[in-house]
Amino acid sequence: MLPFLAMFPLMNRIVPMRPLLLACLCWFVSIASSAFAMSPPDGKDDLRPIDAAQWTSASTAHLLQRAGFGGRPDEIAELTRLGPREAVRRLVRWQSVPDNFVPFDESDLHDPGLEPFPASRPATTDAAKRDGQAIGVAAKPAGNNRRLQPVTNKFFYWLRASRLETHRLSYWWAQRMLVTPRPLQEKLALFWHGHFATSEEKVRDYRKMLKQNMLFREKGNGSFRELMIGVAQDPAMLAFLDAGVNVKGAPNENFAREIMEMFTLGVGHYSEHDIREAARAFTGWNAQDLTFTFDAARHDDGIKKVLGREGPLDGIEVIDTLLAQPAAGEFIAGKLYTYFVRQDLSPVLRAELGARLRASGYDIADLLETIFLSRDFYSSASVASRVRPPVELVVSTYRQAGLTQVPGVPDFNEVTDSLGQKLFYPPTVAGWAQGRSWITPGLLIARSNFAYDLVYPDINFIPPDRYPSADYKIRDFSDKLALGLDVTTASKLEGTDMSSMSNQMADRDEEFNTRLASYRGWQMALERVKPIPRAPARLELSHMVLADGCRTAADAVDALLRRFVSAPIAPATRTRLTEFLQHELGTADLAAARSYLDEPLRQTLHLILSLPEYQLG
Amino acid sequence: MHKPSPFDRVLNRRAALQAGLLGAGWLSGIPGALQHACAASSTRDDKRILVVLELSGGNDGLNTLVPYGDDAYYRHRPKLGIRRQQLRVIDDHHGFSSGMAGFERLYKDGRMAVVHGCGYTQPSFSHFTSAAYWHTAMPNSGEEYGWIGRLADAIDPKLTPNFIVNIDETQTLAVRARNHLPVSFDDPKRFMRKGLYEERPLLDAAPAADPKDSASLRFMRDVAVSARESSQLVREACARYKTPIDYGISPLDLPKIAALISADLPTRLYYCAYRRNAFDTHVQQAELHQRLLTYASDAVSAFMRDLERIGRAKDVTLLVFSEFGRRVPENTSLGTDHGTANHMYVIGQPVRGGHYGTLPSLTQLDEGDNLIHTTDFRRVYATLIDGWLGGDAKQVLRGQFEGFPIFG
Repeated sequence: MLPFLAMFPLMNRIVPMRPLLLACLCWFVSIASSAFAMSPPDGKDDLRPIDAAQWTSASTAHLLQRAGFGGRPDEIAELTRLGPREAVRRLVRWQSVPDNFVPFDESDLHDPGLEPFPASRPATTDAAKRDGQAIGVAAKPAGNNRRLQPVTNKFFYWLRASRLETHRLSYWWAQRMLVTPRPLQEKLALFWHGHFATSEEKVRDYRKMLKQNMLFREKGNGSFRELMIGVAQDPAMLAFLDAGVNVKGAPNENFAREIMEMFTLGVGHYSEHDIREAARAFTGWNAQDLTFTFDAARHDDGIKKVLGREGPLDGIEVIDTLLAQPAAGEFIAGKLYTYFVRQDLSPVLRAELGARLRASGYDIADLLETIFLSRDFYSSASVASRVRPPVELVVSTYRQAGLTQVPGVPDFNEVTDSLGQKLFYPPTVAGWAQGRSWITPGLLIARSNFAYDLVYPDINFIPPDRYPSADYKIRDFSDKLALGLDVTTASKLEGTDMSSMSNQMADRDEEFNTRLASYRGWQMALERVKPIPRAPARLELSHMVLADGCRTAADAVDALLRRFVSAPIAPATRTRLTEFLQHELGTADLAAARSYLDEPLRQTLHLILSLPEYQLG
Repeated sequence: MHKPSPFDRVLNRRAALQAGLLGAGWLSGIPGALQHACAASSTRDDKRILVVLELSGGNDGLNTLVPYGDDAYYRHRPKLGIRRQQLRVIDDHHGFSSGMAGFERLYKDGRMAVVHGCGYTQPSFSHFTSAAYWHTAMPNSGEEYGWIGRLADAIDPKLTPNFIVNIDETQTLAVRARNHLPVSFDDPKRFMRKGLYEERPLLDAAPAADPKDSASLRFMRDVAVSARESSQLVREACARYKTPIDYGISPLDLPKIAALISADLPTRLYYCAYRRNAFDTHVQQAELHQRLLTYASDAVSAFMRDLERIGRAKDVTLLVFSEFGRRVPENTSLGTDHGTANHMYVIGQPVRGGHYGTLPSLTQLDEGDNLIHTTDFRRVYATLIDGWLGGDAKQVLRGQFEGFPIFG
């Protein structure tokens, strides 16, 4: 590791790789590669490219599942024809593929005065008491009943509106995943969303979440350095990790810690001192509404020392210092590998991938091309070994079912939330834990129920973007107001002893009532947020299996298994499914059952999607 | 290369157990399920339950139970320090944050043990690393299983189904066991596999394990078994359960746990969390932190009253902890950064209330302005294992940790 460090002292930017350094890395790589000359014939841990002669439709299906959201038969045929190099190039270097990108259709929600949005409801009402107005709404003249109610209403309006619009945003993103001709662009955006995990829960501004999402889309396969700088200057991230309060003389270490621990190095490769010093380098970085700003007066330009590098470092120099660490290459390459290939990554392979990434100047496309062409990627250790993350599972199910529109029923956000991965709401700054963390008894049942809700859309479905969920107790409140109850009485919760501090404390301030504000906030948001279309999936399973040339129940089961499942299916399972379908059809002959084929096929599909095997890909 | 699935042994033993215990028709009759569950609990000790509540994100202990008697506290916290007049004073040195009427009551009723200065050497300031240390009770080791998981394996070698319940979005490392299958779920209403009558035989059939199956597939099948065994019990218990007790604005998962205890599940280890790093208060923390504490205190005290209502208060002990405390001096954003030692709270009717351990010094801090811990947190785990649940703490914790006389 020392020789590498020694070569970097004067480098402010990683981009120009010196020939000597390159030669040195190539030497390192070749040494490392030779260790794999004796790798198993099946190619595990072997980074050499796969032979074109071994390129089959199974390889392509595997590639499309990992580098995208699954391949339909025509897409698999097309990439198989292209051969490995061209197929991988087309996915990884998507800029050359003609696009059908449709920008997000925003509702008109944001009003003057809302930005900067206060930290909390108390902060809002305190400001209104002090200044006579807050978030663009005036307090009523003194003496009036609930003089701060309009301000409080507006506060809740924006919370609700931004949340509902974020739900539309994830619908839009899912739709893009479903139909994009550049699947890896969206898959990588999803990866980066988990890596640079930022949640609307704290940001509370869908516009910032959208902007960050576009950044991942635009820079996802470029230089990691550019992406990292983009994220460090991204308004959503700046809000999420408290950049606004990181100022000269008063550094806040939240961002500095996470950039080292979560974004570039991983635990164990920096000290607490490095964090404190790095925080100083990022002082003065902030956003005004949707624009990055640098405030020189709030930037600490004194001498800092981060990971051995000393000087009046600024944020970009800190990023370069981090990326000069071998640990950074390994951390990022390792995380990409475990996401796209498999969880168990040997230390040797991890070091090799890290060295390659660093040698390329952190060229993400270059690394992914290596990975997706490697024999390791197509080895039996890699294929069908991965627990499919929820968003991928849902989108690829829709793709294989032949849908071109994300269904409105079941609700995409409710489904993915119940499966443990709601877009724009990662659980913590660590993002979503991958692998087996996706599976618990509760989550496995939720996966099966998603399949049920797809083939049998819930007749009792209530659109969550139109009707507040029961948790808000808003519906009950609304009924009581209509009966003419006063607000204070209507706010009381029935059926409990009201002994908790939080319920007793709520709404003691008669200048406003938060339950009324929550209720009015909902109404105001519903007026302005565009509705999500609520058509259920239109499945045409009989057409699908007949077009596939199926004649018997066994053919149909095989066709569905081929299309939907990549893990091997035990013969006994296949037999049971065939017997089930045949029993429901009353015959083995599909042609005889042509007029009522659809329902039994739906049941069969539900059973297939509920198999443990379906969760792997 | 393939490691044997950690559940391989379980399944064989469980298959045998189920044949006797549960009999046939597991999925058909609804009322039967709860009765079967009760059969597992018999002796008095077998009814003893531990509930763990994790305050995720690193709770600021100094502003939870405030050492108002120490001037150094106010020197470190000129803006965030809470004045005595605003506190719920419990003695001549300490007072709870103003919304924590529930904790104040529990302490004054002698049902809360506060253990001071809990931490470990070479502390990690990463949420995720430090949480993993607390979850495994093995700091700086990379241990694979959680302490609750290892405890279950030790005290219940016959592998009672539903012995561990973990309510959360994903499974926590703390409950990960070599032999037990923790029941992990979030929303009990959704903890039910939908399926049509004619689909049921296939949907609910135990998938045939094949030795050729990949490790991932075997894992998936094992979880499916656990899901089948537990979902109906949990759903029924929660659906039947009604309480007049007010758990407050954020009840956490404690009413669900009360429901399961009320239904007499054989569960002896429950694990839940104030989720999503809620206590990570770097900026403008005063109002937010007070609110979080109010919610947590409301939920905990309601849970205790609910247990009394259903006549189970004598059987349950609750542990409250966080992966670290926060830096002693406030930061300049009116918040606090990641720190070290913290209080642990052991709560319940069986508990001998009071202060335990040694107060950490507020003047002799480490080089990062953090508290130097005075109590290895595993001493509290050892207390719960040896003193409450009945187990061998030395074996479970893989080391000797002196307990506290919290259980008489």
